[in-house]
Amino acid sequence: MTIKLKNISYTASGFKILENVSLNIKRGEILSLIGPNGAGKSTLLNVATGDLEPSSGTVIYNDQDLKQLNIVERSFYRAVMSQSQQIVFDFSVQEIIEMGWVDRGLPNYSKNFDKAVKEVTTLCDLENLLNRKFNKLSGGEQRRVHFARTLLQLWRPSEAKDPLFMLLDEPTANLDLYYEIRLMEIIKLKAAEGIGIFLILHDLNLAARYSDRIAIINEGNIIKIDKPISALDPVLLKKIYNLDMTYDKKTNKVSYF
Amino acid sequence: MITVLVTVLSLLVASSMGSFKVSIVDYFLNLSSSLENKVLEQIRLPRVLLAGLVGASLGISGASLQGLFRNPLADPGLIGVSAGAALGASIIIVLGSSYIPDYLFGPFILPLSAILGAALVIYLLYLFTKGFGYQGVTYMLLVGIAVNALASVGIGILTFISSDSELRGLTFWTMGSFGAANWSLVLPAIIIVVTTISLLIPYSRQLDLLQLGEPEAYRLGVDVKGLKFRVIISSAIIVGISVSLSGMIGFVGLVVPHLMRLLGGVNHNYLLPASAFFGASIMIIADLLSRILIQPAELPVGLLTSAIGAPFFLWLIFRIRKT
Repeated sequence: MTIKLKNISYTASGFKILENVSLNIKRGEILSLIGPNGAGKSTLLNVATGDLEPSSGTVIYNDQDLKQLNIVERSFYRAVMSQSQQIVFDFSVQEIIEMGWVDRGLPNYSKNFDKAVKEVTTLCDLENLLNRKFNKLSGGEQRRVHFARTLLQLWRPSEAKDPLFMLLDEPTANLDLYYEIRLMEIIKLKAAEGIGIFLILHDLNLAARYSDRIAIINEGNIIKIDKPISALDPVLLKKIYNLDMTYDKKTNKVSYF
Repeated sequence: MITVLVTVLSLLVASSMGSFKVSIVDYFLNLSSSLENKVLEQIRLPRVLLAGLVGASLGISGASLQGLFRNPLADPGLIGVSAGAALGASIIIVLGSSYIPDYLFGPFILPLSAILGAALVIYLLYLFTKGFGYQGVTYMLLVGIAVNALASVGIGILTFISSDSELRGLTFWTMGSFGAANWSLVLPAIIIVVTTISLLIPYSRQLDLLQLGEPEAYRLGVDVKGLKFRVIISSAIIVGISVSLSGMIGFVGLVVPHLMRLLGGVNHNYLLPASAFFGASIMIIADLLSRILIQPAELPVGLLTSAIGAPFFLWLIFRIRKT
């Protein structure tokens, strides 16, 4: 069970943003997407979520063309977190998290609502914020709430066999160091449960430490996709980031200053 | 729950009070005279129900449009629907008597023309936004402002060419009144508005999700285009009908949802019905005040709601700036 992007091109107002990109997101795998600003990272992620329709190429969810899945069915298989918009009205943190619940209609699903909310709240360390107003939280706290909402969307009773995917656009943005690591550990946990994870990262060391594979994108092309140890080639990185870098294979760390 | 109680209570009180007093208790105990019964059944009750209906319409469409546009200052008037209805009604008030014989539509001609005006505006909105598409809500608001301006030009021209008595009719209509209520108008209106509202309320969760932004709502399984279509069409229908029967009544659609949010939270599952019931109560009470303040004459009810609503609106803007 995979999300397959096949020969995706995306053109916006005459400008080619993605060119013939192919990529598979497998279940239980963490696939990181790295690349400089304007390389097409977010566009590629938004094509994978179905937000954007590619100019050419196909998106396949578990052997089905994404076009054949309606909007509700799509929400059963993938949860997305991206740069979020401002929320105008004063929702509580709990209300925002609960918005992640999609009515899946499986046996033993709906009656587990409270349990599921509690589970993701605890996992994201948000118990103390539940009754606070979302708009009064700091940027980092708001990100954590959105992340919890994303997790709730993929909550299933243990016997459910939905193929699930998480697509995350810079999930660690605005987080302090502790929660950055915490969030990546949760992602790792979810991958171990069988969820396929595709995420955009800027921190190459986080990518090196947590990814099963890293895809490097530059100017709308995937130029390398491999295990961290082979993907993080200093010569290649120098070329696309225009920065001298070293990669220590023993410690699995990238240095750039 | 409390808002429902307030609505029922205001309905009962308003039915009995007025320049001609009818005790509602006597009526239920069969102690009232036949004249009193007639006043209550034929004049007072349709009027009070119409006031409630208009209040509910304005309240709930205000709440749902504010949710849809994710803008606390949105109002049924803002997308131009009220203006369209007003233009339709003005045409009849000024030109109707000279060009359309009375026997054609009788009392229905004014509301019909107003609904036609509202429908025309919706069609224009639909056309300009390519089927309420994904161009974003700001665009739709701008189109609404333009449509409003166009409608005012039309009303302006009509005002200019109207005779003195037509001008008076026009002026009073734009200030709003429930004086013309009778069963043959109110009954079909009730059926249409209540049906539309009950079709709108199940979408309150989708309106909640929309607050995360259109892309997020889509990712959580909301058909955003379909939701826009539903909310706008429903609001247009209920506001079009309300405006056509009562004239222009300002600020209720704007103020009522805000009060309800302050009282019980921003969840649309609560907010939509609460705004409907509270809007109904406020309008019934406002109409009651308009009837009894300067007896036996009547204040235009739109004047009253604007007099209370405008300062509240100012306070609201002030509060938003502070936070």
